This record gives sequence, C-alpha cells and structure tokens, in this order.
Amino acid sequence: MHHGAFARHYQHGIPIDPIRTVSYMDEKLKELSERRAKVLGGGGPKRVAAQHEKGKMTARERIESLLDPGSFTEIDAFVEHRCTVLGMSEVEAPGEGVVTGYGTIDGRLVYVFAQDFTVIGGSLGEMHAAKIVKAMDMAVKVGAPVIGINDSGGARIQEGVDALCGYGDIFYRNVKASGVVPQISVIMGPCAGGAVYSPALTDFVIMTEKTANMFITGPQVIKAVTGEDVSAEALGGAHVHAATSGVAHLTYPNEAETIAGIRRLFSFLPSNNIEDAPLVASSDDVARIDAALEEIVPESPTKPFDVRDVIVRVFDGGDYLEIQPLYAQNIVTCFARLGGRTVGIIANQPKYMAGVLDINASDKAAHFIRFCDAFNIPLVTFVDTGGYLPGVGQEHGGVIRHGAKILYAYSEATVPKLTVILRKAYGGAYIAMCSRHLGADQVFAWPTAEIAVMGPDGAANIIFKKEIEEAADPVAVRKEKIAEYKHNFANPYTAAARGYVDDVIDPAETRPRLYRALQMLLGKREQGPARKHGNIPV
Amino acid sequence: MKKYRITINGQSYEVGVEELGVSASVASVPVAPPASTTPVVAPSVLPAAAAPVAAPSAAPAVAGATTVKAPMPGTVMSFKVVQGQAVKKGDVLLLLEAMKMENEIVAPSDGTVASLRVPQGAAVNTGDPLVDLS
Repeated sequence: MHHGAFARHYQHGIPIDPIRTVSYMDEKLKELSERRAKVLGGGGPKRVAAQHEKGKMTARERIESLLDPGSFTEIDAFVEHRCTVLGMSEVEAPGEGVVTGYGTIDGRLVYVFAQDFTVIGGSLGEMHAAKIVKAMDMAVKVGAPVIGINDSGGARIQEGVDALCGYGDIFYRNVKASGVVPQISVIMGPCAGGAVYSPALTDFVIMTEKTANMFITGPQVIKAVTGEDVSAEALGGAHVHAATSGVAHLTYPNEAETIAGIRRLFSFLPSNNIEDAPLVASSDDVARIDAALEEIVPESPTKPFDVRDVIVRVFDGGDYLEIQPLYAQNIVTCFARLGGRTVGIIANQPKYMAGVLDINASDKAAHFIRFCDAFNIPLVTFVDTGGYLPGVGQEHGGVIRHGAKILYAYSEATVPKLTVILRKAYGGAYIAMCSRHLGADQVFAWPTAEIAVMGPDGAANIIFKKEIEEAADPVAVRKEKIAEYKHNFANPYTAAARGYVDDVIDPAETRPRLYRALQMLLGKREQGPARKHGNIPV
Repeated sequence: MKKYRITINGQSYEVGVEELGVSASVASVPVAPPASTTPVVAPSVLPAAAAPVAAPSAAPAVAGATTVKAPMPGTVMSFKVVQGQAVKKGDVLLLLEAMKMENEIVAPSDGTVASLRVPQGAAVNTGDPLVDLS
C-alpha cells in the first residue's frame, strides 16, 4: 500500500470517507449546537428575566450551583412532548420543562432533576415525567441519591390523563426508592395539587422562603368551597410548613442558602442503604472530657434547660444539623458526627413545653428514626421529658395512635441504639424514649436521672393515700412522702440494679462513653423473622 | 340584619346581628376592636344571644397583632413583662407551670405588650390566650 494513500484515507487510524467533506460535519455539528442552544435557553430571555426578577434562579443555574463545578451531565435534553390536541402541536417546550441528569456533590454521585418554570410554567406532562422517571430509575440502579427541584405550575392540562399517568409514575418510584437511596425534595416555586405528593413521599422537603408554596387546594378553591380568605403564603408558605404542618424539614431565606443547605444535609447522608455515610475527620478528640456538661442540668427539677447545650458539647466540633427545627420543638432531631461517623440524635427538649411527647413530636421523631435506620445511621437518644401531654385535644387527635409510632420506630430499628437519660424518664415516656426494653444497645444515665413508674407527686399520692389522709398534718406528711419516694425511687440506681441502665456515668464523660459504645456496636447485625413488612400505626 | 336588645348589669343595649354566610369564616377573621366607649365589658358576661357580636371582640384586637397562647394546660406562675413594655423575639413573657416544669413562654416576634389576658395564678388550657403583642 502506498504510504500517501494511507495518509489520505485514514486519520488517527479511523477510516474516513474520501467523498465526505469537512463542511459536511461542520453542518451536522452546527445543527447539534443550535438544537442544544435552544434547549439551554429554556423558555427564552424574557421568561428567564422574569424568573430572575422573582429572586429565582433558572433550573440550570440551580443545578450548576448545587453540583460540583463542571460535574453536571445532562440526559434527555432533546426529549419533546407528543401532545397534538388543544393547540399543543404548535407549542415548543425546550427540554420539556425539566432538566435531568447526574453529577457530584463533594465528589459523590447524585441524580438531579429541576423543573424549569420558564418552559410552559414547568408544567408536568407525559414526557416531562418520563425524564424524571428515567433519572430516578438510573439513581436506584447505581445507588445514588436523588435531588428533585420543584418549580411547576402543576399538571399540563392539555395532556389530560397522560399528565396524571406522569405523576403516578413518579409517586410509584418515590415509594420504590424509599429506603434504597436518600430522596431530597427542594421546593423553589409553586408545588400545588397532586404535585405535592412526590415531595411528601421523599425523605426531606426543603423550601425557600417567599417563593415556595405547597398546597393540595389553593387559595381560590378554598375561598370558593369554605369561604376562607387566605393568601398562598399564609396557606402553604415555607414558614407554615416549617412551623405548623411539619411538611418542610428545612427552610432557608433565599435560593443560594437553600443550595448550601442541601449540600450540608447531603454531607451527613450515605449514598444508599448498603453504604455508610462518609467519614469526616475531626480534630475533636473522641476521649475529650467536658466538665461543663456537669453544670447543664439545673438543681431544681422544675427548671428547664436547652438540650442542644448537651448536643454541642458531646459531638464532633459542636456541629449539628437540626431537622424540623421549628416543628414540635419539644423534641429535637438532628444529625451530627461522633468520631467522624454520622449519627442521628433524638432528644427531648425541656426548654420547650417541658419536653413532652405529643402527637407532633411523635410523628417528627418516628420519621427521623426510620430514615436513620433505613440508611445505617446509628441513633443517639437523650431523655428528659415531662411525659405524654395530657388533654382532650391530644386524646381526640389520636395521641395513642401517633405516640405508638415512636415505640414502633425505635423497636423496629436495627442500627446501633444508644440512650442517655439526663433527667426525667417516667412511665410510658421512659419506655418510649429508646429504653433497653425497645432494644437499646447501651443505656447510660447521668446521676441526675429520675427513672420511675411515675412522678414522685403522683406516686406518693397513690401509694401513701391512706397515711396522708389520716395524718394530723396532711400537707406536711404528703411533702415528706414525696421526698421519701423521690429519694428511694426517682433515681438511676433502681433501673441500674435491674440492668435496664448499663451504667451511671459522669456527664463530663458522655462523649468518650458514647464513642466507645458506638465503636463496639459497629459490627451489630440483627435480623428478625422474615415478613413482607410490618404495619406501623399511621 | 336582626336586632336584639341585651341587658347587662341592669343596663340595656341594642345590638344588630348580621348573618354573613359560613359562620366559620366570621370567627376567623380578625375584626377591628370595638371603640373604647363600647359598653360591652367582657365577652364572658354576655348572654348567649349576643355571641355572634361578642366573638370578634375576643379575637386579637389590633391588626398585625399576635396573641401568645398556652401551648399546654398549666398554671400561670408569673409574668415577666408588663403592659406597654417593648419585647424582642425570644424574650420571656411569663412562666407557665405545666408538666411539673416552669416553662418559659417567649415572644414569637418583636413587639409591645398590648395586654395580659389572664391574671397571675390562672389555670389555663391549651390554646387559651395569654398575652397580646402589637
């Protein structure tokens, strides 16, 4: 073979068509770049400007700022809708109103989808949903978390039942992926009607203040049906869902802080149900003794304290991320690290409503516990509670049913379970707060712990009823009997004598004791009898 | 509009009652306060017939005002503020003894204490108004 001919017909070892010209490929590439530019442009400059005016980023800007720089790879950019009725054949929807793909956060793989409000209001049609579904299926296949950014006017009405099919397909996958990969829903615009149920089925809902709304039926429908006048913000804004409904787990004042919040949450989570959360090295010595912990519980049992003062002193660098900080504040749920390993913390908050267990606290704790258990995150529980909240409202609201969720979630959890009883642990609340009896692996008590069947006042009134009634000075005798009961029974040693408490510890040593227990439990394997699934009281 | 004559402490008042459709919406809408000259003393002493009129006056008085309510049943131990005092978000308004704890009830937002709704020592139930902030 002539050397010159070879040079002409082969380039980099790949045969080239001698007839094909350079301008032919140029044309093909030009078409590709034009088509891509159209998709990248979303709904066009006017709508993008309108989006920016509302303080909102575009779908692509959100993804770019969420993921590690340059890590985003888009899929399905050229997907188009195939609706031809009701004038839809003329409607162009670049990218189908949703951007999907994968990338990394701190180098870890994640799947994302972001609805594009600039493209027919980010409305959800058949192919829009198909893009989301494909991303979710891929994420589950490779064991990567899914982050969905919602900003959509709702169902694309013109597409009729195909739009409903789209929602249903997404809900179904949310459920199938639940407990397999972490799912995070971010609300950065409207999310109304059936659309709310995809976020509701995921692990975390994060909302941006002022721009995010979530409701099943909007203000207009409510006005028409019940006559109530309510703004979208008052009905389903970020604050309402953070403080009142409990739908939102985290809220932030703007999109940039929301994005930073997602990345921070992500750092605590494993990628799937068979991996552990990433270890994060800390300069905080695991053997650190902290004498300040001895000063936190007040001398008077009726004085409150902030349980977060305990949390910051025990865990790595005092760093923790509170989940649902404004909802059911009588219980604190947060992620932190101990010796670099993510733990989930559940703590009664005596500073708020005496740290009682009620309907909302039970729901909040149970959801958090189940997330941690599904994703191999050990549980650390701090106990100081006034007990279950009395009241007609609670009873009629179903505190029996809701309260049972805490018992169920703790009992069901097979991750390492560590409990520290700080102060009050009475009756049913003692059992519920991850007691030995619900399978706690290690239970520690501070010397200030009061573990008994009921509070000293109530117990003395019942046990010593006759003596008090027959006494010459019932008030004095009653006081005496309360003190007697308190001394004999409201302490950690009765429970420790039975082995329900493994050890009574100096509060200053809480960090090293928890760390050692956690290390000891890393190999924990627990398997129950085979079953399809349990039936949590919902 | 229906008219009723109501006698309170021996003095009679004429009040008009207008039905506005769905009753639930009426109670939930904050209504401007009755003028200080309005002879209605306290909603609790009004006869039942006047309830539709009295209800709005029991609601928070000033537009934009916040009523701090009891989060659980208990006893008001002591107020930490007085009427007219300016408070910041998070300031302790009162101590509520409940579930054997002295619970600090704090201001949900900055404002001025418009009124203390219950006396010290009062037993309150969940949702009872404690302090009005304006």
